[in-house]
Amino acid sequence: MTGELYACVRAAEFPAQALLRLRPDLQGEAVAILEGRPPLETICSTDTGAYRKGAVHSMTRVEAEAIAGLRLHPRSLENEASARAVLLEALGHFSPRIEDASTGTVSVGVLDIFGMEKLFGTPEAIAQRIRTALKAAGFNASIAISANFHAARLKAAFTRGIAVIPQGNEADALAQLPVKALELPQDQAETFASWGIRSLGELAALRESDLVTRLGADAQGWRELALGVRAHVFRPVVPAFQLAESCEFEMPVEQIESLLFVSARMIDCLVARATGRALALAVLSAHMKLENGQEHQCSIRPALPSTDRKFLLKLLQLEIAAHPPPSAVMALTLSAEAGQTSKVQLGLFAPPTPEPSKLDVTLARLKALVGADRVGSPVLDDTNRAGSFQIKAFAPNEKDVTSNAPYPRIALRRMRPPLPVRVEVQDMRPIFFRDRTTHYAIDTAFGPWRTSGCWWTVAGWGAEEWDVLATSETGELMACLLACDRTRTAWRLEAIYD
Amino acid sequence: MTDGAYVELHASSAFSFLEGASQPDVLIERASEIDMPAIALADRNGLYGAARFHTAAKRKGLKAHIGAEIAVSSFGSRLTPPAWLPHKHKPEPPRVTLLCTSQTGYQNLCQLVTRFKMRERKKTEGAATLEDLEEFSDGLICFTGGDEGPLAAALARPNGPDEARQTVDRLGAIYGHGNLYVELQRHQLREQESRNQAALDIAANLGLPVIATNGVRYAKAKDRELLDVLTAIRHKTTLDRAGRLLTPNSMRYLRNAREMAALFADIPEAIANTRRVSDRLDFALNDLGYEFPRYPVPDGEPMDEFLAKRVEEGVRKRYGSQAKRHLLDKARAQVKHELALIRKLGFAGYFLIVWDIIRYCQQHGILVQGRGSAANSAVCYALEITAVDPVGMELLFERFLSENRGEWPDIDLDLPSGDQREQVIQRIYERYGAHGAAMTANVITYRGRSAAREVGKALGFEEETVARLSGLVGHWEWRGANDTMERHFEQANLDMRHPKIARYLELCGRMLDIPRHLGQHSGGMVICAGMLNRVVPIERASMPGRAVIQWDKEDCADMGLIKVDLLGLGMMAALQDCVELIPRHYKKEIDLAALPEDADVYASLCKADTVGLFQVESRAQMASLPHNAPVRFYDLVVQVAIIRPGPIVGKMMHPYMRRRQGKEEITYPHPSLEPVLKRTLGVPLFQEQLLRMAMTVASFTGAEAEELRRAVGMRRSMQRMKDLEGRLRAGMTANGIGPEAQDSIVQGISSFAMYGFPESHAASFALIAYASAYLKFYYLAAFTCALLNNQPMGFYSPAVLVDDARRHGLRVHPIDINRSDWLCTVEREADGSQSLRLGLNYVRGLRKSSAEALLAARNQDGPFRSVDDLALRVPALNRSEQTALARVGALNWLEGVKDRRDALWQMEEAGRPVGPLLRSVKTDGINLHRQTPLRRMSTEERLVADFAGVGVTTGPHPMTYHRSTLRGRSVRTAAELAGQRRGQIVRVAGYVIARQRPGTAKGFVFLSLWDETGIANIIIAPDDFERNRIVATNCRLLQIEGPLQIEGGVIHVKARHIVPLEVSKVEIRSHNFH
Repeated sequence: MTGELYACVRAAEFPAQALLRLRPDLQGEAVAILEGRPPLETICSTDTGAYRKGAVHSMTRVEAEAIAGLRLHPRSLENEASARAVLLEALGHFSPRIEDASTGTVSVGVLDIFGMEKLFGTPEAIAQRIRTALKAAGFNASIAISANFHAARLKAAFTRGIAVIPQGNEADALAQLPVKALELPQDQAETFASWGIRSLGELAALRESDLVTRLGADAQGWRELALGVRAHVFRPVVPAFQLAESCEFEMPVEQIESLLFVSARMIDCLVARATGRALALAVLSAHMKLENGQEHQCSIRPALPSTDRKFLLKLLQLEIAAHPPPSAVMALTLSAEAGQTSKVQLGLFAPPTPEPSKLDVTLARLKALVGADRVGSPVLDDTNRAGSFQIKAFAPNEKDVTSNAPYPRIALRRMRPPLPVRVEVQDMRPIFFRDRTTHYAIDTAFGPWRTSGCWWTVAGWGAEEWDVLATSETGELMACLLACDRTRTAWRLEAIYD
Repeated sequence: MTDGAYVELHASSAFSFLEGASQPDVLIERASEIDMPAIALADRNGLYGAARFHTAAKRKGLKAHIGAEIAVSSFGSRLTPPAWLPHKHKPEPPRVTLLCTSQTGYQNLCQLVTRFKMRERKKTEGAATLEDLEEFSDGLICFTGGDEGPLAAALARPNGPDEARQTVDRLGAIYGHGNLYVELQRHQLREQESRNQAALDIAANLGLPVIATNGVRYAKAKDRELLDVLTAIRHKTTLDRAGRLLTPNSMRYLRNAREMAALFADIPEAIANTRRVSDRLDFALNDLGYEFPRYPVPDGEPMDEFLAKRVEEGVRKRYGSQAKRHLLDKARAQVKHELALIRKLGFAGYFLIVWDIIRYCQQHGILVQGRGSAANSAVCYALEITAVDPVGMELLFERFLSENRGEWPDIDLDLPSGDQREQVIQRIYERYGAHGAAMTANVITYRGRSAAREVGKALGFEEETVARLSGLVGHWEWRGANDTMERHFEQANLDMRHPKIARYLELCGRMLDIPRHLGQHSGGMVICAGMLNRVVPIERASMPGRAVIQWDKEDCADMGLIKVDLLGLGMMAALQDCVELIPRHYKKEIDLAALPEDADVYASLCKADTVGLFQVESRAQMASLPHNAPVRFYDLVVQVAIIRPGPIVGKMMHPYMRRRQGKEEITYPHPSLEPVLKRTLGVPLFQEQLLRMAMTVASFTGAEAEELRRAVGMRRSMQRMKDLEGRLRAGMTANGIGPEAQDSIVQGISSFAMYGFPESHAASFALIAYASAYLKFYYLAAFTCALLNNQPMGFYSPAVLVDDARRHGLRVHPIDINRSDWLCTVEREADGSQSLRLGLNYVRGLRKSSAEALLAARNQDGPFRSVDDLALRVPALNRSEQTALARVGALNWLEGVKDRRDALWQMEEAGRPVGPLLRSVKTDGINLHRQTPLRRMSTEERLVADFAGVGVTTGPHPMTYHRSTLRGRSVRTAAELAGQRRGQIVRVAGYVIARQRPGTAKGFVFLSLWDETGIANIIIAPDDFERNRIVATNCRLLQIEGPLQIEGGVIHVKARHIVPLEVSKVEIRSHNFH
């Protein structure tokens, strides 16, 4: 038996719904969700209370703050993604075939419910049950059921509650909907407006041949949509391929070795699932629930996706050693992101480079020793601020850029971090300085070299640098760079000239 | 070290467009503060700020050296950070600094800039070559430049020292070793000092002198912030992303001698040389070498004699008629006096050249009329430069030209706007050569809106926020306490507590008046004998075929450059059209110079029936016309002049109007002034009266009186004003005028002189105003047609003009593709009357080329028979043009077309592209089987289509359809207001066609509300406006309730309640005066 029956479930104002389902304390309040960068956020979603108070989309934060009793929250895309997953999962109880037709702040799922009557009853009953299930999951949604996919989708957008379109009555059911429901290109929308065609019923009343001769082949599709007869190739959502394994412990685990023992088995399973799809593990994350109620997380990211269990386990061991959980572990979830297995083709004449897996292990060891943000390649920033750089992931294949300075430069050994010093100044020039141990008399000072910038932000800076030749109490000569942070009047020994 | 020991010889102002942050006068101010005796301006590739710099320096008693930074493409690219440092610098040529030692040097610099600017095909920066430098090197001193210079660029290259030496050698070869200085700048940057040391080596090796400059980009260190913003704007990026494009510190300010001496303590000769070079820079802008061209007089006759003959011919022509013969002797005496002065001042050539332009216009049928103070001159009248008879009207010549003024006369010519004005401009280019004439520039500066927009972008605000804010800034002429930037920021919902927003606001304020780029003045043209490019650099304008000088109108005046203003006046174009339309359609010839004084025309003016008329159509004019009730030409002269900020602020308007209505006694400050003030009922209104008052009561000469007028007009010349007041009082005492009368006269002069209006100018405008009134009264179809064909102009939109004409009985026909031309046309009705047909130019979205193709097809093969016929014969019409024509009803008269929707339906099919097989198949007749399934447009839909597609409806006014509903709400029509009681609370509704907040009205807002019976005048008090700001500013259709004010036949509704009226979606544009 073949046939079609679709239920379109439409959850509007989804950012607000996604928040409210997790925050029962906000139920009944006027809540608006803001998106955008501060201080220029605008409202992207509201609940009914907020709407009643006059909060509308695109309203700025300042305008919204003027509405008494309105509670403002920032938008969380992660929250929405997980809420959407929950929504789809809830819908999955009614049909294994779901098409995700979400747009913007509206979450839409269309279910293929043909044949489900035997399980759940009449279409009305199915819609009611879906609505109830969603309500329990914390969502408000309008539902339209039709034998035509698009009819269900269009009707749901203009329905509050439940609408069931009897088969064969699609055209009548859609006739009153405005033409804008079709979301036509602007010029076509203007054409229909100039023709005085306002509703789908009026559009459907036009002859197909008349429309096609005037507006082209697309018009046939619009008319079919208006009549509720447009065919649709259903694209069911492929369930997300999630690589995750979890284990709860009867007793809190304090020993890392015990944890790794279990992890080894879990990595085995993950690797097996990944290799079954010809994939490898690109990222492996360990999420731990701790005895003290906290959670602890760490992850490893090999240079190349890998299926080497021992290698992955070693990296995980180093990572956990570098970031040990502060308390005993109650539950462990290992999740992985899959990546394509890849091989590196080495050049015949290229200089040998370290094996990626070994390099990863070495880098992981270094990170464990000095901290993750201190391992990588330094990259200079585009700023006038001296020595400003950021650490980017180590990339051994990058070409080395050598300076083509026309004349020799003196090498400078930067102190990292700079050494605070006390400086005595006379006639605005430094004459002595002292670090923790030694007192230096400044013989010659060149400068001051002045730089400043970012005056338009709170991170504004200003520096005054001196190149000095100094002699210590013991007669030791030193050429160094002293710098004064002009925003705080703090002197530091920045570098020593070689 | 004394403060005078250092002279800054390398300063760039904000006229280095986005590369300098201080105005020239601010640099001068700062130089004066730090006791610097001289300073040199060197802006990027031009002398844009030189005139202002010179003028400001003159005021402060400083020496202003003139120079420029000149980009030289032959030296490769300027210094940028090395490749291993991330940066966003784009390649630009390095710039040398050139300073003028003499007039020759200045002329060479001007020619050099002109050479490379004009070498470009369009407006752009451009760059000189070494050959250019060689050609124009005399009289110039060259510095090797700072970080922007070729020496720094060469030093950074792989073979740095050698290349640098070669670069300096080449410059030395061009300018000579005595004129080349190795420039050293110390901005306290390590890399720069490294280059300085290399430069010192090169200077020592080549035996060249070194010179210290600070490469100044702003007056004070704090201004570095503004420069950073300008840098971000220049590179179209944000401050956050600009990185190394921004200056590394704030050291490029104007430093005093002590600071510079300390910086260059190790190279004292670099400082000493600044003074030596300054002493060598003899040139100042006083000596431009400008000369107005000589008129090519035939047979070598002296210009003065030639002019006298032309004037005599003119006098005979102008005053030879019976009506004016009584003025002939007086006119001859006047022109004799004027010619003597013109001869003495050597201005004969100027008058002849303007006369030449007038002759050209006359020979080519171009309407032209001189305006402004030139109308005071009998010579100008005789030469037909002006149309106002100064002898008959007893206008005062000294207001135009006086011996002591020391400046050239200023003649403005009004021409029909559009092609004819362009024709005259091109004629001047042809006659005086590409380097002999150019348009004056218009310096575009940052105003509230542009500052908000560009600073916002530089600070990284989102486009939407910036657009919202800039949309709110800078609206009205009136600026109330609430019209501050702060207020606009709040209205844009920006949180002023946020430091970033506060910084935004502050920067916007500092950006105001900073030059953004150079535009082209609307009509000012400078003409020069010989080469204008030696006087001021000339560069390409954005408009093809146009060149502009680097100075604006005021700069030209300050520098003594003579310009002729060729101003495009829409009404002149309309009058010109009338002169052609009237003989064709009314079979009557019309001579605009000899229109009769007509009582009916004045009666219509008295009724304020002035929609579409020149100068007297504004709302304020309409409100005053019934009070002043003009019945002769001079009344109209007063009328034109009185509704101006000057008389209003000077509190002259109401006394005059009360006296005019007989409500106030006519008195004079002193009996001797009666002849001077009699025409204006004892109230001084015109600048000429001020002159005559001084001449009468204090025995001033004409020149002295003019000096007094100018002194009063300038706020800053307090000392001069005091001297003149002393002389005025002494003169009055000598003439036996008592102290009280003296006080009254001095007070009178002071109060209005600043704002007074030249009587001659008012008379010139009044002539055009009367002509427009006359033509509207007697030739309504032609006049309306001409007005519609010369839009945009005036106070009212075409919709209002058409509606007004229809209320005066003119039939206006809609656009019809078989009858309409491109322009609106006059048609003849069956009863012999004239009517108006809207032209295809009113169809929005219809290209002129498509319309011309349509008209060509119609002229060739006759009218279009059907929609298919149109589509087939005019393939140039694209789909949107076809639907535009159908939507506005232009196809309604084709066979087989029932209505607009039917036309649309048919056009959509006929207009679809067909394959080659069917393209040649002609459709004979109409496809009668096609029945449109679309319903007819409703009235509302039709009106919406009319106003959206044409901007005008030829059917009933949109409000007509809602009148019964509105009556139910007790809403009255504009016409009904006349029958109501004063003070009665009334309710009116209509489309807002004009919003004004004049600077003189203390925050009051004036709205014009248009309905099917006319225009209702609304006044909104400042408080009411604040309460209803958004509705009053944004809504197009309003319902307003308030008490009625009726005064002397002038009716206003004082708005108390303002609500938007939601009855129609018709979009009618309002004319908002900002």
